[in-house]
Amino acid sequence: MASERVLGYARAINEALAEEMRRDERVWMMGQDIGKMGGVFGLTKGLQEEFGASRVRDTAINETFIVGGAAGAALGGTIPVVELQFADFVLTAADEVFHKLAKWRYMHGQFEMPVVVRLPSGVVGGAGAEHSQSLETLGMHIAGLKVAVPATPADAKGLLKSAIRDPNPVLFFEHKGLYRAKGPVPEDPELVVPFGVANVARQGRGMTVVATGLMVGRALEAADRLSEDGIDLEVVDPRTLVPLDIDTIVASVEKTHRLLIVHEAPRTAGFGAEIAQQVQERAFFALDAPVWRVAGTDTPLPQDPELEQMCIPSVDDIVEAARALAAV
Amino acid sequence: MNSADLIELYRTVVTIRFAELRIREHVEAEGFGGFWHPGIGQEGVQAGAVAAMRSDDYLYYAHRGLGYAIAKGMDMAVLFGDLLGRSTGSTGGKGGGTVHFADQSRGVLGQGGTLGSNFVMGAGTATASQLLGDGRVTVVFFGDGAAGRGTWHEAALQASVWKLPVVWVCENNGWALSARFTDQSPTPNIADRAPAYGMPGVIVDGQDPIAVHDATSEAIGRARSGEGPTLIEAKTLRIRGHYEGDRQPYREDKVADDEIPNDPVHRLGEQVDDDTRRQIDAEAREKVAAAFDEALAAPRADPSVIFEAVWA
Repeated sequence: MASERVLGYARAINEALAEEMRRDERVWMMGQDIGKMGGVFGLTKGLQEEFGASRVRDTAINETFIVGGAAGAALGGTIPVVELQFADFVLTAADEVFHKLAKWRYMHGQFEMPVVVRLPSGVVGGAGAEHSQSLETLGMHIAGLKVAVPATPADAKGLLKSAIRDPNPVLFFEHKGLYRAKGPVPEDPELVVPFGVANVARQGRGMTVVATGLMVGRALEAADRLSEDGIDLEVVDPRTLVPLDIDTIVASVEKTHRLLIVHEAPRTAGFGAEIAQQVQERAFFALDAPVWRVAGTDTPLPQDPELEQMCIPSVDDIVEAARALAAV
Repeated sequence: MNSADLIELYRTVVTIRFAELRIREHVEAEGFGGFWHPGIGQEGVQAGAVAAMRSDDYLYYAHRGLGYAIAKGMDMAVLFGDLLGRSTGSTGGKGGGTVHFADQSRGVLGQGGTLGSNFVMGAGTATASQLLGDGRVTVVFFGDGAAGRGTWHEAALQASVWKLPVVWVCENNGWALSARFTDQSPTPNIADRAPAYGMPGVIVDGQDPIAVHDATSEAIGRARSGEGPTLIEAKTLRIRGHYEGDRQPYREDKVADDEIPNDPVHRLGEQVDDDTRRQIDAEAREKVAAAFDEALAAPRADPSVIFEAVWA
């Protein structure tokens, strides 16, 4: 059995970057403050020292260049792994993300686009309406982008390594609220986590809960509390939204007959809506109750950290919804 | 430029001209699945600049005409196939308009449909060349209109800071659809913006293919030797509307009957002896006609192409 050690989520990402840059000279990075400073969240610490200022490049504040330049650099035979300081800035570089990365190969009928865009995502405590969003659903709606949403240090490392080795563009949503989370991470640098394979984070028979990112931990905590009441949750973490492992979700629902979807992103037209729809198409008669969602509010996020937490699902919210759904 | 190169440059310019005329004939006679943005009159910029490139240098073209790709050596039947939505086009039949074609083997990397995409893409490709040390230069064409995009600023700034091997070639034809250049620029030249980025800004007569070639050659030399980008502004004129069929109600000084001022074809042709020129003209006309017929005869794409090349 492969050996493991306990690492932080941020450290696991740093390790994935370093290992992939050692493995393949074509891999390089750029972003704001990622070199000398090691990133505003410290994710790229030590990498410029090891790989030099040419392969770990500090840019100006120019998101259209960071993403569009990465697209061009991929056409030029390299593998760029770029960081946008906050995931929200995919909207600042929207043309480059959703048109250049996603469509260049399609429009021209040739080329590969091996680009990873690292996106510090989600609520972290007072960062405000333009620095806190969960925008992963956008990547599902516009064809041509893969979307990863790791919830654990091991998945952060293994999925990032898969992303860097993928010939397609990947939006890699790292949850800022998980950067300090710790967990076991395999030592083997060849151990990658494939895209499109969900993780059943907790086995259970009473209800399926689909959750991603920060919400996986909250769903697991809710499951612990509910088990005292005899409500047995199965927690499924899709890990990637594109491709989406709907088979594992459907199989779980066929076992539990109930589905609750939890996401930090706003409720309306979030990825929960898509999963609910796909499940009712494939497993309608397996369902004993409607599919419910616990999700972020349909509002911008207030900057105040206390108000902000009220806008995303809490453990209490999940417990309450699961209890009510179990009674339907 | 030696006389053999000059003759080849003339061949390219006149070939592009015949391609322009053949496409217009088709658009007028049979209609067209997309918008054809004619580049007639601007052949001198496109052919002159590309003639200064190495075959493995990278090219991002602008939307006006096919001259860049013809000059870079792409097969015309393939290019016309893209234009006509044929399966034999470089995009496999997803074309049907002038915007997208590419040939990785010749460094023709394509174009973004949202104008100004090429700035950041081109700077990125030049970054790859700098990282790999492959000695290639990226040439990015754009119009005076696209120069208004914010992507210009982001790319030009970073390219100069990093001394990237990229050359910016502006075809200033005086018009961005209905907007006259002088109505949307506070200074009379695009090249006036170069000093802000610490790079040379060069103005050249776009109707003079040799002058464009020489300016581009010098800029490519600088780029290849690590001295960073150059902004070249080639002054030219939009002869037709924004697209073929545009009646240009916004324009008082329309060009009548293809009266191309300082026509690059004639200007360069004067330097080629009559017999050679007549022979080149005949060959070019024939080659264009044959390539267009070949494209017309090719099948349209199978609908299955819709689902192809989404993923690598």
